[in-house]
Amino acid sequence: MPKRRDILAIVLIVLPWTLLITVWHQGAINPLLAARKGKSRGGGGQLHINNNKDIVEVVHTEYVYSRPPPWSDVLPTLHVVTPTYSRPVQKAELTRLANTFLHVPNLHWILVEDSPRRTPLVTRLLRETSQNYTHLNVETPRNYKLRGDTRDPRIPRGTMQRNLALRWLRETFSSNNRHSQPGIVYFADDDNTYSLELFEEMRSTRKVSVWPVAFVGGLRYESPKVNTLGKVYGWKTVFDPHRPFAIDMAGFAVNLHLILFKPQAYFKLRGVKGGYQESSLLRELVTLNDLEPKAANCTKVLVWHTRTEKPVLVNEGEKGFTDSNVEI
Amino acid sequence: MATRMKLKLKTVFVLYFMVSLMGLIYALMQLGQRCDCAEHDMPKDRTISRLRGELHRLQEQMRKAEPTKLPQKLAVKPAQPTIYVITPTYTRFVQKAELTRLAQTFLHVPQLHWILVEDSPHKTPLVSGFLASSGLAYTHLHTPTPRDRKLQEGDPSWLKPRGAEQRNEGLRWLREDRRGQPGADTQLGVVYFADDDNTYSLQLFEEMRGTQRVSVWPVGLVGGMRYERPVVEGGKVVRFHTGWRPSRPFPLDMAGFAVSLKLVIANQDACFDGDAPMGFLESSFLQGLVTMDELEPKAENCTKVLVWHTRTEKPKMKREEALQKQGLGSDTAVERIKAR
Repeated sequence: MPKRRDILAIVLIVLPWTLLITVWHQGAINPLLAARKGKSRGGGGQLHINNNKDIVEVVHTEYVYSRPPPWSDVLPTLHVVTPTYSRPVQKAELTRLANTFLHVPNLHWILVEDSPRRTPLVTRLLRETSQNYTHLNVETPRNYKLRGDTRDPRIPRGTMQRNLALRWLRETFSSNNRHSQPGIVYFADDDNTYSLELFEEMRSTRKVSVWPVAFVGGLRYESPKVNTLGKVYGWKTVFDPHRPFAIDMAGFAVNLHLILFKPQAYFKLRGVKGGYQESSLLRELVTLNDLEPKAANCTKVLVWHTRTEKPVLVNEGEKGFTDSNVEI
Repeated sequence: MATRMKLKLKTVFVLYFMVSLMGLIYALMQLGQRCDCAEHDMPKDRTISRLRGELHRLQEQMRKAEPTKLPQKLAVKPAQPTIYVITPTYTRFVQKAELTRLAQTFLHVPQLHWILVEDSPHKTPLVSGFLASSGLAYTHLHTPTPRDRKLQEGDPSWLKPRGAEQRNEGLRWLREDRRGQPGADTQLGVVYFADDDNTYSLQLFEEMRGTQRVSVWPVGLVGGMRYERPVVEGGKVVRFHTGWRPSRPFPLDMAGFAVSLKLVIANQDACFDGDAPMGFLESSFLQGLVTMDELEPKAENCTKVLVWHTRTEKPKMKREEALQKQGLGSDTAVERIKAR
C-alpha cells in the first residue's frame, strides 16, 4: 500500500515538469522541422570535379533569361530612381545597369534625364530592354556666366531629377489607397555597382533602411554605427560624421508610404553643403532612431560607389574623326 | 475526520493529475502541427511565411514553364556553340565590384563559360568565393605576371601590355581541356577576351556566337575616339578606322574580336606576346591565325557599337590611409576590396 502511494506521489510531482518542458520545447522544435522541410533545391546545380587538376567546374542549369522575372502581386515594388545625363559613357552605363536590374523581380526603373527633351538614345535603350520603366526628364538650369556646358554649381547634380521622380511618385500613387501594392524607393546613380542581394535587403524596408557603401568619403567604405540592440546611433565616417545623416545616396532606401505620407519632403536645391544632400531629404522623413540597419547589421558591403573614367577623346580632333551618326 | 480529509486531498490530487495528463496529451498533439499564427500575431513571421509561399509559387511557375521551353530548344538547336570568355583580373579595390557587374551581364547569356584568370601566384579567397556564388559556369585559373612585365605604382596604364600571361593561361587550359574530350561537337565554340572593366551589351554575345574563324566589330570609347571600327565594303573588312597607329597589322582592341574555338585548337602555338610594343598585343595573337580579308564583320557590317571600353576610376583613399596611420582603419574583415 505505501509503495503505491509513493509511486502516485512521484508521478504527480514529475508530471507538471514534463508538461512544462514539452511546452517549452514546442517553441524550439517547430521552427526546426519547418526549416528542414523548406530546404528544397531550386535551380538545379551539378558539380563536376576534374580529377586531373584542382579546378572545379560548376554547371548551373537554366538560370539565364533576358526578361525580368515574372511580376509578383505580393512582393513590394522597388522604384529605382536614376538621374542621368548625356555624355560619352552614358549608353554604356545604362546598358550595364539594365543588365543588373533585369535580374531583380518587381523592379520599376524611373530614369530621369537631365535634358530639355527625352533623348532618342535613352528612349531607344529603354524600349529595347524588357525592363518595367518610366522615362522622365527635367533640365537643370545652367549658369550662363560659366562655360556653356557646366551645370549650376550651386545645385548638386541630379537633385532636380530626383525631386521630379518623387513628385511623379506622389502624383501616381495616392496615399489614400493603403492596401495598394507596397513600394520602396531607392536612388541609384548610373555609375555605381549594385549586388543583387542589395535589392532583396531593401525590400523589407518599413520606413528607412540603411547599409554600408564602398568607396565613399575617401574610405574603403562608410557605414552606419549599429549598437547591440540593432539600432543606428551614429556614422562611421571620417568626412563630417556629425551630419544628421552621414550616408551616401546609394546607402539608404525609403518606404513609398513614407514618401506619400510626407508630401513636403524633397531634396533641398540650393544652399546645401557638400555631403548634406541626403540629410536634406532624410531629416524630413525620419529620425535616427527609426532607421533600419540591413546587410547583416551593416557589416556587409553590397553596393560600391564606382566612378567611370572620363574617356580621353583626343583623337577626335576639331571636326570629329568618327561618324556622329553611330551611337555610342 | 482524518479519513475525510484524506479523501478530499486524494480527490484534489486525482483532479490535478487528470488535468496535467490532459495538458500533456494536448501539447504532444500540437507538436509537429502547423501553427495557426492567428494567436501569435507576429507580423514579421506572417510576412516571412507569406513571402515564402509566394516564392514557392513563383518557383513552381518557372519550373512549369521550363518543360515547354526545353523541347523547343532541342528541336531548333541541337548544340548551341558555347562562348568561352577569358577574363584576366587582378586584386585592387574595385575588383569585386567589377566582377559583380560583369557576372550580372554574363548571367543573361546562355551557353557561356567564364574562364577567370587571376594575376596572382595563388587563388584568392575573394575571387573563389565570388565565383562559387555567381551562378555561372566557370573555370578559376591563376598565373602571376613576371615582375619585369608588371606595371609599378605610378606607371601609366599604357606603359606595358597587361593580361598577356593570363590570357595565354586561359588558352592553354582551353586547349588542354578540349584535348581530353575528342569529338566534333566539343570543338564548337567561340573564344572571347573580355576585360573586367569593359561594358558588354547582351546582343554582342549573340553576334559572336556564329564565328567561323575570327569575327570583328566596333568598340566604343577606345583609341582616343568615340569608337574604333573595321571598315566594311562588300561584306569584307578592307581597312580599320582608328585614330592611333592604323598601320598595325590588326588595329583592334581586345574587346573587338572573337576567335572560333576550332581555330584556337588548330593553332596550338598562337598566343599573346607579352613583350609586344604598346598596342600590338592583339596583332601578336591574330597575325598567325587569320588575314584581314578572312575577318567576319558583325554588328550590322560594323556600324553598331555593342561593347564599350569603359575604365573605372581608382577610388581616392586619402582618408583611409590617414586613418590607418592612426590605427583606426575601416574593418578589413569586411570583404569587398583589398589594396594591392
